[in-house]
Amino acid sequence: MPNLKTDVLVIGAGPAGSMTAKWAAKSGAQVLMIEKRQEIGSPVRCGEGMSKAWLSDVGIKPGRWINLEVEGARIYSPSEKVFEINEKHAGNEVGYVVERDEFDKQLAIDAGNAGVDVVLKTAAVGMLKENGRIVGAKVKRFGETFEVRAPVTIAADGFESQVGRWAGISTNISMRDMDTCLQYRMTNVDCDVRYCDFYLGKVAPGGYVWIFPKGDGLANVGIGVQVSQVTGMADARNYLDRWIDHHPGYAKGKKIDMVGGGVSISAPLKQTVGDGIMIVGDAARMIDPLTGGGIANGCIAGKICGTVAAEAVHAGTPTKEFFQKYEKGWRAVLEEKLYRNWLAKEKLVQLSDETFDKVIEALQDFKLEKLSVHNILKAVHEKYPEVTKEFEAFL
Amino acid sequence: MPSKKHLHIESSGQLCIYCGACVGICPLNCIYLDETRITFDEKVCTRCEVCVKACPVGAIEIG
Repeated sequence: MPNLKTDVLVIGAGPAGSMTAKWAAKSGAQVLMIEKRQEIGSPVRCGEGMSKAWLSDVGIKPGRWINLEVEGARIYSPSEKVFEINEKHAGNEVGYVVERDEFDKQLAIDAGNAGVDVVLKTAAVGMLKENGRIVGAKVKRFGETFEVRAPVTIAADGFESQVGRWAGISTNISMRDMDTCLQYRMTNVDCDVRYCDFYLGKVAPGGYVWIFPKGDGLANVGIGVQVSQVTGMADARNYLDRWIDHHPGYAKGKKIDMVGGGVSISAPLKQTVGDGIMIVGDAARMIDPLTGGGIANGCIAGKICGTVAAEAVHAGTPTKEFFQKYEKGWRAVLEEKLYRNWLAKEKLVQLSDETFDKVIEALQDFKLEKLSVHNILKAVHEKYPEVTKEFEAFL
Repeated sequence: MPSKKHLHIESSGQLCIYCGACVGICPLNCIYLDETRITFDEKVCTRCEVCVKACPVGAIEIG
């Protein structure tokens, strides 16, 4: 393949990449999006639970990627006391279980329809730099290496992002700020299609066990464990297998698929832009540190990122200064919640199983209007003031 | 200088599920995932063992 030129080069065709590419193209830029896999969205590395209120804001229409709509979520304490979050508390937080591969494909289709050129089986292997600024990437396709030159390069290469780091922007995370995850798709399990279920405590140190129902006795059964809490090899798998063994409704199920991956649970990065480059989505560590959800944030930031990328192309100023518009834009929408949830996560991972039980118990008895970290603490404070001592900063 | 410990990433598919968890956590950015092949830069790797912990299926060994 000969060397290529484009206005905006997007590396990675996940939700954040496709969303960025689409909005850059809609804003009049010529966009090339590369994806290292041969099939967008596959293999799926996701629990497939998604909130829904944000979708229309970024122009995503409901489609066949919706697997089913849940009524709520159930949080299980270590002694399996249950707190139910329904639409009334959570409003927009309750949502869909999705076919994630279909979702990613739909977003890539939307990008393609907006004029984005999509090239599969093409991986970035290094950056092109000139006078300290990024001017594109060196990419590899079918064993052949060539250059794509672009005034704006977007790093949307996911959790295992290397592009940002190649460009000299630190996206490093510590072991405290990462969960190692494993998930089985299981059939013949006793799950309730009305709820997504979450199990907290020592069953999953620093994380949780999740159940996302897919209908007809099928469910995604997965776990995230904080890497700093890992003591042996393959702890994520061992914890998950143990949890399944202890739950007869799941132990009788059949595993038909297995996926793994890393999820960042960090505070927001200090910097997500440089001269000629912007980072978006999981690569920019935009995952919610409390829930581990990254799709909504990636898409919301992607819309801003794509719009700013096109503006920079038109103005002829793809500089770090110009990209402050994106840096400030995504932070205005996402940063406060990311930071607050990171602080909450830092506290939660220290809680004992006894304390988790008390928290859930207190929530059962409290008439919770709207679900928020603040309201949860208020509920717990009323019943067990000693438990919330550590959390006074949030009250 | 003492020689570095042996680091082995089992990436033939026996254990490795190509999830990229090790790639994302590596503080030196020296692990590479190429769809169904994982390699690391022997010279850059300091054997910090973070990837060993991050691997959800125990496919990385140091000894």
